[in-house]
Amino acid sequence: MRREVQFKLNGRDVSAQVAPHESLVEVLRENFGLYGARESCGQGMCGCCTLVVNGTAVSGCLYLATLAEGARVDTIEGGTELDAVQQAFIESGAFQCGFCTPGFILMTRQLLDEQPDPDEQAIKHYLSGNLCRCAAYPEIIEAVKLAARKRRKA
Amino acid sequence: MKRATQSTETPQVGRSVPRLESWLKVTGRAEYVHNLRLPGMLYGKIFRSSVAHGRIKRIDTSAAQTLAGVYQVVTSEDIKKVVPDPYYGPAFHDQPILAIDKVRYVGEPVAVVLASDPHVAEEAVHLITAEYEELPAVYDEVEAVTSKAIVHEVLRPAGTFPDLKHLKDRKNTNVALDFHLRRGDATAAMKKAAHVFEHRFTTQQVMHTPLEPLVSVAESTESSLTIHTASQSPSFVRIEIARLLGWPENKVRVRVPFLGGGFGAKLYIKLEALVSVLSLLAKRPVKISLTMEEQFFTITKHASTFRIKSGVSKDGRILARECEVWWNGGAYADIGPRVTQKSGFTAPGPYDIEHVAVDSYALYTNLPPAGALRGFGIPQLVWAYEGHTDLMARELGIDPIEFRRRNLLREGRPQATGTVMKDAALEKVLERIETLMDWKTPLNRGTGTVKKGRGVAIGFKACVSPTTSLAAVNVNADGSCIVYCSTADMGQGSDTAMAQIAGEVLHMAAESITVVHSDTDVTPYDMATLGSRSLFHMGNAVKLAAQDALSKLNFLRKELGLAADCPIPDIFKKKYGMQAGNVAGAGSYIPSYKSPDANGLTDNATPFWMVGASGVEIEVDTETGKVRLTRLINVADVGTPINPKIVETQISGAAIMQLGFTLHEKMVFDAQGQLRNASFAEYKIPGLLDLPKEIINEAVTAEQKTGPFGGKGVGESGTFGVSPAIANAIHDAVGVRLTSLPLSPESIWEKLK
Amino acid sequence: MSPFELVAPSSIAEALALLEEEGARPLSGGTALMLMMKAGVLRPPRLVSLRKLGLEKIEAGGSLRIGAMTTLSALERSPEVRKGWPVITRTLRTLSNVRVRNVATVGGALAHADPHMDLPPLLSALGARVTLAGKGGERAIPVEDLYAGYLETTLRNELITRVEVPALGKRGAAYLKCTTRSADDWPAVGVAVVLGGEDRIFVSAATDRPTRIAGEAAIAGLKIEGDLHGSAEYKKHLVKVYLRRAIDEARNAVY
Repeated sequence: MRREVQFKLNGRDVSAQVAPHESLVEVLRENFGLYGARESCGQGMCGCCTLVVNGTAVSGCLYLATLAEGARVDTIEGGTELDAVQQAFIESGAFQCGFCTPGFILMTRQLLDEQPDPDEQAIKHYLSGNLCRCAAYPEIIEAVKLAARKRRKA
Repeated sequence: MKRATQSTETPQVGRSVPRLESWLKVTGRAEYVHNLRLPGMLYGKIFRSSVAHGRIKRIDTSAAQTLAGVYQVVTSEDIKKVVPDPYYGPAFHDQPILAIDKVRYVGEPVAVVLASDPHVAEEAVHLITAEYEELPAVYDEVEAVTSKAIVHEVLRPAGTFPDLKHLKDRKNTNVALDFHLRRGDATAAMKKAAHVFEHRFTTQQVMHTPLEPLVSVAESTESSLTIHTASQSPSFVRIEIARLLGWPENKVRVRVPFLGGGFGAKLYIKLEALVSVLSLLAKRPVKISLTMEEQFFTITKHASTFRIKSGVSKDGRILARECEVWWNGGAYADIGPRVTQKSGFTAPGPYDIEHVAVDSYALYTNLPPAGALRGFGIPQLVWAYEGHTDLMARELGIDPIEFRRRNLLREGRPQATGTVMKDAALEKVLERIETLMDWKTPLNRGTGTVKKGRGVAIGFKACVSPTTSLAAVNVNADGSCIVYCSTADMGQGSDTAMAQIAGEVLHMAAESITVVHSDTDVTPYDMATLGSRSLFHMGNAVKLAAQDALSKLNFLRKELGLAADCPIPDIFKKKYGMQAGNVAGAGSYIPSYKSPDANGLTDNATPFWMVGASGVEIEVDTETGKVRLTRLINVADVGTPINPKIVETQISGAAIMQLGFTLHEKMVFDAQGQLRNASFAEYKIPGLLDLPKEIINEAVTAEQKTGPFGGKGVGESGTFGVSPAIANAIHDAVGVRLTSLPLSPESIWEKLK
Repeated sequence: MSPFELVAPSSIAEALALLEEEGARPLSGGTALMLMMKAGVLRPPRLVSLRKLGLEKIEAGGSLRIGAMTTLSALERSPEVRKGWPVITRTLRTLSNVRVRNVATVGGALAHADPHMDLPPLLSALGARVTLAGKGGERAIPVEDLYAGYLETTLRNELITRVEVPALGKRGAAYLKCTTRSADDWPAVGVAVVLGGEDRIFVSAATDRPTRIAGEAAIAGLKIEGDLHGSAEYKKHLVKVYLRRAIDEARNAVY
């Protein structure tokens, strides 16, 4: 039985007809054509499905869309310009196939919001739940450090 | 190279151009087939075999068919209506689109449910039941040689690739291919050697797990088909689907956007034949998007057993070597026979050995099929021969690097096939590893429960040959440039590299060039994106195509009486009176090659060699067997790096991926051939917390003279030495020699206690 | 996933009533539940969300009282927890990943009864008690009494409403776990140790539930089975090693 769910998506008020078993990733893809969050491992372990709900990063493939009612949902597609994190990822060459990249970028933003100057251990721990099979990990660590510096300058 | 004052003075090649698709990837807007939705599209969910080997007695789809929302349920009976002989494969036409008469591994596709809601399709799959008459199964590659359990009653060789043409029709055997190489007389030379060493090494079955799981979509009319697929080999897909349907190639279109990782998993036919036929049956677009779990039941990496024996002189020179390698190919051959053959001839390693005997066997077993995975058999071989090398060095009391130096193949010397080594910087790579490892400084191994150790390993790989790449380059009326090639960018940066090569020829900034992704209606033939061949083959083709375009532009300049440095837009304006027209350049490249003779010998085995070495420093917690890498150093010969930054990340990425195969990853089966760990919860790939403390990646200064601007492939080179370097380091640290992968803490502790 | 009804009651009594439906399951963070539903292991016809029951408070004053719907992230960030029970803060840092911690709850973590989890043995060692609400009223039991076996609790149609952790004081505490594959793996062995007065030592992961032992001598008698993380023999050995290390760390804990 579909139910209407209303929420804020990347700053805009939206609504969607949602079945109880549908995940937030599914609804964003099917109803809104947003493909930056992807279901990969299906178990919340890889981070490709990362979404930000009410300012908190969640695994979108395990998040029931119904529960987004009244919430603020932010995806990688939000924003009009590349932010410091996205720029840092480009400059550091911190991606290869790019499938995990939106997840890493969203998580990095969260990390830097909470810890503006994380050391390498803090970075590794915070992003330990994001996997990259291309193993761009060293470049990702550099990108996070660079993003932190860029943010501090701004 | 002299450059006219055109669009840019900056060289394109040798510059760390940021990837062309950067904006797309950081904004989540890059196109992947994973995202594709077409109007009217049906989702297919696969019902899979629950037994490892059995005759299909009955498939009951009745309950599934009546579930609300189910469009159709398909079995091989339906498939045969469209494709009467529905078997495919690059080496053997042994793999049925859906199981016919028999199932040969747990997880083999038996039926498909089509529905417009994927949840409904999945629900319906659970309502399908099948009955099997179970047959004896075989899982081990060595056992498969003599086992009474025969996976395929009759073998069916294909003729698609020129180097596999000689495969004979075989019956009553699990040996799909046997490759033999004989140079000199290893048996006799062995008898005269001062020392004889023999060891046995094994590796495990693992899976590529690209984060974009395998996915294909097909849409059809009554006489044409478009397949959108995450594939590294669009041209092959077109040829094979056309063959299956009995259609001309130009009625099958294959489109490939970006791949969310490939690593060899997305090659040849995986889901393409299935979605194509389903689409023709349903008369609607059909998408099959595998889950991460299902990938394990689709394609994997060969487990292997390698018996290696060397006869060594008093002063540590390897005089003779025998290699016997058994490759566990799983239930369907896929490209296993090529792995067996192409890596087979490098099994003796990058060493100067006069007498060599290689016997390499591709085996069928009742496990998920094995195929190409980054390294293509080389990591398994290097695992064995570099462990063997260290063991011999230790026995003889010779420093491991010195021992290698004494035996390493040098420029101008013949490799096991007889092919003379050219542009393979083995010595340089070994020396660089020695320097970066500070090898001459003794290592303090420690006196407590944590012991330090270090090890090195070096390997090499030939490039599959002969293969062809073609490319087209368009220069438009405004001077902008488009490159068309069927190379798939799966993260290795091929779009960027091809733009750099074209830009170098045409004096244009790489960033200004558009690279059109594989679309077989548009982009010309390419053998495939695999085995690190694209930079060399497609790079050469793109270079030729750009040169063709350039010479056409120059010809136009002359013809129209324009200056030699006349800007391109002016040429077109002069020719057409307005901004109109374009110049099209074409390039086609196939390297020279000579097929091996009956002894596996040839003087032209490969258009180029790849060289990769690794050195590691580790700590072993002797109380638990846990290993921590403090340093991981990877050095490769990539010729001239076209894009130094991307080269570095390719070496690094390959090495870190190989860490997973070395320390954590293993597909574990129970006694009934049932996979126990088909998910990321129980199949553990490397994460950020698994990184070595320090990683250094370098490409030595070298040149591949026949490569585009001196370049050659790099994607696999970082995989070669990692596993044996770590095993050698463990031996160095705690005196324990492991000959099986993965190097689990328990396996180390077992030997220590 | 098969279709289900999702309800969000605003009182515990209402929640308990809704849970009486055959197969109905409580939904807290949903991480574990979603995994089991996607795998087809669980097919509840009704999910009862606990998000509107007001169980998210953390109160520290003497003892630590944690509402069952407190997310693991909130617990991790709590300054009171860091001050009074730093071993909890430390343990949370490597518990699963940040996204999981952002939605998973303390109550959910305890109710899942997966012996590989970090909080059950640690809270058991800390002497924590859970308050359970049922139709007949409330009762409080030690955390370790929640567990009957692998994925099996002793809950009788009850909901965990809060966890109360006694003051740690100057007692040394440590929780160590050993992963045998990648770092981000379910542990093969977990050992929680709280020293002082009466030592409280709990072994988990290798056992089917958090299991209290008096000391190293008791390890031989533990019922341990081999699995993908290691053989029984190896795991028993790891318990010995990690017990020693946990005791060392607890002894050297500085506040």
